[in-house]
Amino acid sequence: MKQENIRNFSIIAHIDHGKSTLADRILEETGAITERERQEQLLDSMAIERERGITIKLNAVELKYQYNNEDYLLHLIDTPGHVDFSYEVSRSLASCEGAILVVDAAQGIEAQTLANLYLALDNNLTIIPVINKIDLPNADVEKVKKELKDTLGFSDDEIVLTSAKNGIGIKDLLAAIIQKIPAPKGNINNELQALIFDSFYEGYRGIITSIRVVNGKVKVGDKIKMLATKAVYEVVELGVHTPKESKKKELVTGEVGYLCASIKSIEDVKVGDTITLETNKNPVSLPGYKPMKPMVFCGIYPIESNKFDDLKDALEKLKLNDASLEFSPETSEALGFGFRCGFLGLLHMEIIEERIEREFNIDLIATSPSVIYDIELTDHSHITIDSPVKMPDKGRIIDIKEPFIRTNIFVPSEYIGSIMELCQSKRGIYVSIEYLDTTRVNIHYEIPLSEIVYDFFDKLKSYTKGYASFDYELIGYKSSNLVKMDILLNAKPVDALSTIVHKDFAYNRGRIIVENLKKLIPKQQFEVPIQASIGAKIIARETIKAVRKNVLAKCYGGDVSRKRKLLEKQKEGKKRMKMVGNVEIPEEAFLSVLSMDEK
Amino acid sequence: MKYVYIHIPFCDNICSYCDFTKLYYNEKYVLNYLEALKKEISTYEINEKLRTLYIGGGTPSCLNINQLNVLFDIIKIFKFEDNYEFTIECNVSDITEEKLKLFKKNKVNRLSIGIQTFNQDLIKYLNRNHDEEKTIKAIALAKKYINNINIDLIYAIPKQTVNDLINDLNKYLKLDINHISTYSLIIEPHTVLYNTKTNYVDDELDYKMYECICDCLEKNGYNHYEISNFTKKNYESIHNLNYWNNGNYYGFGLGASGYIYNRRYTNTKNIDEYIKGNYIFEENILSKKEQMEEEMFLGLRKMDGVDIKLFEKKYQKNINEVFDINNLVESKKLIIEDDKLKINKKFIYLSNDILINFIGDENE
Repeated sequence: MKQENIRNFSIIAHIDHGKSTLADRILEETGAITERERQEQLLDSMAIERERGITIKLNAVELKYQYNNEDYLLHLIDTPGHVDFSYEVSRSLASCEGAILVVDAAQGIEAQTLANLYLALDNNLTIIPVINKIDLPNADVEKVKKELKDTLGFSDDEIVLTSAKNGIGIKDLLAAIIQKIPAPKGNINNELQALIFDSFYEGYRGIITSIRVVNGKVKVGDKIKMLATKAVYEVVELGVHTPKESKKKELVTGEVGYLCASIKSIEDVKVGDTITLETNKNPVSLPGYKPMKPMVFCGIYPIESNKFDDLKDALEKLKLNDASLEFSPETSEALGFGFRCGFLGLLHMEIIEERIEREFNIDLIATSPSVIYDIELTDHSHITIDSPVKMPDKGRIIDIKEPFIRTNIFVPSEYIGSIMELCQSKRGIYVSIEYLDTTRVNIHYEIPLSEIVYDFFDKLKSYTKGYASFDYELIGYKSSNLVKMDILLNAKPVDALSTIVHKDFAYNRGRIIVENLKKLIPKQQFEVPIQASIGAKIIARETIKAVRKNVLAKCYGGDVSRKRKLLEKQKEGKKRMKMVGNVEIPEEAFLSVLSMDEK
Repeated sequence: MKYVYIHIPFCDNICSYCDFTKLYYNEKYVLNYLEALKKEISTYEINEKLRTLYIGGGTPSCLNINQLNVLFDIIKIFKFEDNYEFTIECNVSDITEEKLKLFKKNKVNRLSIGIQTFNQDLIKYLNRNHDEEKTIKAIALAKKYINNINIDLIYAIPKQTVNDLINDLNKYLKLDINHISTYSLIIEPHTVLYNTKTNYVDDELDYKMYECICDCLEKNGYNHYEISNFTKKNYESIHNLNYWNNGNYYGFGLGASGYIYNRRYTNTKNIDEYIKGNYIFEENILSKKEQMEEEMFLGLRKMDGVDIKLFEKKYQKNINEVFDINNLVESKKLIIEDDKLKINKKFIYLSNDILINFIGDENE
C-alpha cells in the first residue's frame, strides 16, 4: 500500500456518546466484519469494559476501503476513555494523524470530550468533529453544533452528522477521514522508529506489543531494541488485526500492527517507548515517552486469610497485562497479610479490585486510597510515602506536599453553587468558570488529589443528580497542612484505618468516622471507646456501650442449665467476629467503614 | 444436702413478663398438686438438717390458709440447722396478719416480696395488682413478724424513665428493707410482652439504670454482693449464695431444678404428668470439666468471685490449668484479690462476655 493512502485515526468521546457503536459501524461499512459477525461493541473485549461502557485496553484494527476508485488502508486505533489512562490515550493518539471527536447530539460536550480533544491537539492531530445519535428524539443538533463552533472553534462544514446505531452518515465520515486526515509522514528508508502504544499478554506468545511504525520498517527475524528499557529481542511475528489476526512479514512506515518477540517481562515493554533495530548506531527516541507512575495507592487484603497466595497469583497475572499496576507485600495488624498496590487512578483501582474478585474469586478488603506525599524532613531530605502507616513522626517533619489536580467539571449552570460548595469542602481553590453557552459551564478548581480519591465522584453525582461530567489533569505538588489521623479502638490504633488529612478537616472527618464506627460495631462488646487522634491528641470520641441483658438471667429456682444454654448461644455468636486489635468487629462492619461515605 | 427449693406454680393473675412455671390458681388442682409434691419429696431420703428452704413460684402466698397448712405439713419432714434460712415468696396483696402468723409459726424467717415497681402505670403494664399504699402497709405489717425481707424490683420497663427508677429506689429506701434484687426486664417467649411484640428500652438507658441502681444502693449502705443483688450487712440470701457457689440442692415441684452430686435435673412443667408421678423432664450428668465451668460462671456472679484455694481443693486443679484466664486478667476484666478471682466492677455489666470464656472447649 502506498504510504499516501494510509490513514491512521482514533475515535475520542465522552462515555456513552457512542464511540464503540461508531467503531463497529465503520468496521461493517469497510467490510471488516459482516453484520452477522458483529458482536455488540466488538472492540471492547473485556466483560468489565462492556458493563461499564468504557474501554480500558486498546485495540488497533486495519481496514481496507475503496474511495473514488482508490484503495485505502485505514487503521482505527481504539483508546481508553478515562482520565486514569490519559497517558495511554496520549500514546495511542501519538500513533495517529487524525481523531474523530464524537459528541452526543443530546448531551453536548462533556468533560472527557474536552480532555481527550486536548490530548489530540497536543499530538497535532487533525480533528473531525462528529455529532452522533442525531436521530434520538431528544437530540438537539443545532445546539451541539453551536457548542462545537463557539467553544472549540469548528466550522459548520467540518461537522459530520451520524447515527451510528442506525448507520446514518458513516459513508460521509469515511470520506472525511480520507479527505482530511493526512497520510503518515515518515521515511521508509530511515532507521526504524516504532512507537509502542499498548501491550498485552498472551500465555504462549508472551507479551505482544501494539506498534506504529513512524520511520523505516521492521521484519520478522530483526533484532530489535527498546530504547528506554534497553531490552533486546528478536522479532518472531508481525501482523495486523482485521479484526482477526493476520500475520505479515513486515510492517513499514505509517503502518500499525502487532509485534511478538517472545517477551516474558512486562518491565521490558513500556508504553510510549521507541523500538529500533539493534544495529542502529544512533538511535533517536520518539518524543513524549514517560514512565507511567501510579498515583493512587491502597492496601488490598483477602477476606479469608488463607487466600493470600491466590491473591499474589492474581496480581501477578494482572500485572502481565498491565505495566502500570504496582504491588508489594504489606502486613496489617488488623487485616493480616496483603499487598500495597499502586494504580493510575481510582477507576484503575476499582477495575483491578473487581477483576480480582470476579475473575479470581477472591473477596477483598481494600483500605482507603492514598496518594503519594512528598515530605521534607528536619534534615532537609525528602521522602515520599504512599501510605499513612509510613508517615514519619510529626517532630521530624518540616513540610508535607501533596499532588493537586485541575478540574474540568461540565455541568448545567444551575449546579454552579453546588459544585462550588463541593469543591470548597474538598479544599478546592477556585480558578475560573467558562460558559459553554448560556446553560452549561466548565468549572475549574485546583483540588488536592487526595480529596478526589476520597469520595469526590460519588459526591459529585449526588450534588448534581448525575448531570456533571468530570475530568482532571495533574498540576503538581503543593504544601498542605496535613496530619496523620489514627483511629483507636479500645485505645489501640487500628493501622488499616489511619488516614492523612488536612488539619482543618481532621476534626470533622474524625468525628464522622467514629460516629459511623459506633453504628457499625455491634454492642455485644465490652464498653469500647472509639477515638480519632492526631498524635497523642484525641479529637473525637464515641463509646460503644455494652450490650444490655448481658448480666441478668436470674437463677430462679436454680435453673443453671438454662443459664448455660444462654451463655453457649452467646459464645456461638462471638465466634463470628473478627478480632481487630482487641475488639471484635464483624467483617461487614469493617468493609463498610473502609468504603464509608461522608454524610 | 442442706438446700431445698420447692415450687408452687399457682398465681392469682399472670404478670405480663413472667415465663416461670405458673398456672392460674385453681382450687381443685392445688390439693392434688400438694399431694404429688409430698410424694415427690418422699422419693428422697433427706436426713440432714437443712440450712435453707426456699418456697418460690408462681405465687406461694396465693394459697389459702388451709392449703398453706397442708404445705407446711409436708415441710415438717425437714429438720433445720440452728441458723437456717426459710424463705417464702409473697405478693403484696396476699400479705395478711393471718398468713404472716402462719408463716412465723411454721418457721418461715425470710420473705421475698415481689414489688417490681411503685409506679402505678408500670404496675398495670406488668399486669400486677398492687398499689403503693397497699405495699407500704403490707411491708409494715410483714416487718412485725419477719424482719428479714427481700424485695424484687424490675427496671428497664418500656416507657420507664430514669426519674421513674429513682422514684422507685427512693420509695424502696423509705421502706427500710435489708435486701433487694433488681432485674432488667427480659422479654421472654411465651409471655404477654413477647406476644405483643414489646421492644426493649434503649441499651444506653438500660445501662444508665443499672449504674443508677448500683450508685444509689451502695450510697445507702447496701453491699452489692451479686450482679443483681444488694444487701445490708449479714442479710445475704444464703439460699441463692448456694446456687452461686455451685452447691448441691434439691428442687421439688413443677418445673423445679435440682443439683444432686454431679447430676442436674429439671422437673416437668406439665402438671398432669407431675401429678401422675412423672416428675423429671430432663437430667444431665456433668463431667468434671462442666462442673468446673459452672463453678466459674456461677461464682463470678458474686462480687467476691471464686475462691481460688477452694476451687483447687474441690477439683484438685488450679483455675489456671483449666481455663485460660491470662488475657482476661491482663485486660483487667478479671482481677485477683485475696486469693479470689473476680470480675472487675467496671465490667460487671458485661459479665456474660466474660463468663462465656469459661464454657465450651478450652481450645476455642
